[in-house]
Amino acid sequence: MMRLGNITILKKLILSLLLASFTACATSGISTDFHDPGMDFGALRTVAVMPFENLSRDKLAGERVRDTFANSLLATGAVYVIPTGEVARGVARAGLLNPAAPSLEEIVKFAGIIKVDAVITGVVREYGEVRSGSASANIISVSLQMIEIQTRKVVWTASSSKGGISVWDRLFGSGGEPMNVITRAAVNELLDKLFK
Amino acid sequence: MSFSTNFSSKAVLLLFTFLLCLSGCASTTDPAIRLLKDSAAIEKKLRIAVLPLSNLSSTPTPLKDIRQLLIESFKSQGLDILDEEVLERFIVKHRIRYVGGITRMTAQDFRWETGADAVLITSLELYSDISPPKIALTSRLVSTGNDPTILWMDGIGLAGDDSMGILELFLIENPQKLVRKAVRHLSTSLAEYFSAERYLKGGQREIVKFWPNVFYRSPIFEPGMKYTVAVIPFFNLSQRNYAGEIMALHFVKQLTALDNFTAIEPGVVRDALLQYRIIMDAGMSYAQTDLLASKLNVDLILTGKIFDYQDYKGFAGTAKVDFSALLIEKKSREVVWASESRNEGDDGVFFFDWGQINTAHAMASEMVLTTVETLVE
Repeated sequence: MMRLGNITILKKLILSLLLASFTACATSGISTDFHDPGMDFGALRTVAVMPFENLSRDKLAGERVRDTFANSLLATGAVYVIPTGEVARGVARAGLLNPAAPSLEEIVKFAGIIKVDAVITGVVREYGEVRSGSASANIISVSLQMIEIQTRKVVWTASSSKGGISVWDRLFGSGGEPMNVITRAAVNELLDKLFK
Repeated sequence: MSFSTNFSSKAVLLLFTFLLCLSGCASTTDPAIRLLKDSAAIEKKLRIAVLPLSNLSSTPTPLKDIRQLLIESFKSQGLDILDEEVLERFIVKHRIRYVGGITRMTAQDFRWETGADAVLITSLELYSDISPPKIALTSRLVSTGNDPTILWMDGIGLAGDDSMGILELFLIENPQKLVRKAVRHLSTSLAEYFSAERYLKGGQREIVKFWPNVFYRSPIFEPGMKYTVAVIPFFNLSQRNYAGEIMALHFVKQLTALDNFTAIEPGVVRDALLQYRIIMDAGMSYAQTDLLASKLNVDLILTGKIFDYQDYKGFAGTAKVDFSALLIEKKSREVVWASESRNEGDDGVFFFDWGQINTAHAMASEMVLTTVETLVE
């Protein structure tokens, strides 16, 4: 009888330890995304995607991600995306010193020149290969924000991170998903967040 | 008996599963037989001026030897080639430096001064004599006279190890042999254009593999309508010199093959870009598009960006091509079509390099063909 009681206590101990270990891996669950509840996103007709700020080591990362995002946004058919050549003309005409991080006044001036309803700016935080010990994989981390011209307010912000070293990569050294696959996955996630 | 029944049913099941798996990665055979643009001019025998080769490979190459091989090959096909001395005198007189295309003025002068009916413009995109050798050539035949029109265009990208076979029996290690193979392909293609049978048969194609990652077609764009299009050299963000010009040539080639698209001769487009001092910072603006479209009298402007156009030397490496393209309509002043594609030579390759593509040219050609199909289908 005493022996059975010990086994039950042991089971409870293992269960509580297991639950405690799970809490260590838990995320806070707080979203960093923002979607203005008062904004009618269906009213947006034309948007400009500004050059993305590139904080990664790959010097083309900003342009690659911007291109994929702009084309994917255009492909949704929900809004018209101004071509990059026209955006470059607007940047030059408005005299933006840093088109990746323009001030509110600069954005309004720029939007008046190329006639857009909203402007999207972004930051590529990570793009390329990451290593941990002998394992390596591709990773991407992007944050975007949309500023509506009429109200001069930030109406949407979202970020997405994809790729990274998985247990599979550590065990078998597969090298992770190709860069274009995770870039598309990150862009699709951002679009889902925009049109939710 | 039971064993045999079970065994046969298992065999059938296995076979069925195998076929099902195969269908998943199946390449789509293009049943379409593409009719090349008809022209009254090909009814009579054209006199052709073969221009010196334009070197887009950025490496030292035997341009004269390849050109000589081309001329010999064309002559053997019975084509009428303009005399070398006449061509030399014309080039010197008009101080022609750029041989990657012809302007309207040059086309007129060619017709009236040399009597040539057409000019053959060839661009060498890749040449490597390191084993296995590699070569990529693009040729087009442009009519002379008041309105230079692309009559025929074809290209080829070959590597010595494209089809090595068992025990590398078919490995080509001699660069000369590979050059001759490429030249033979082009001259045969041109001769077919002049022959009564003006058809190009679609081969085995892997549409799924080369399908664009993203593409958009505006509802205002009507695929069945006839369009004239000017292809602008792509904005080059890759490590490869002339990748922008090479991508433009790929698009011109595939658009020329379509019935309802007429691509403007790239030399004429280049001349207009220089004449109106159009410099692209990150692509074409609407104002530049308006100007160019009205001066060239075209309905559409095709432009884009090239991020990767990578070839490799020797056996080890992977060809990479990554580009995005967009089409701006003059009338609506809108982007009516956009696409983005990225592929590597070993995409979908699992066993013994079977199906690997060894040159960026061969891959880009398939990618652009598939991309262009989204325009019309």
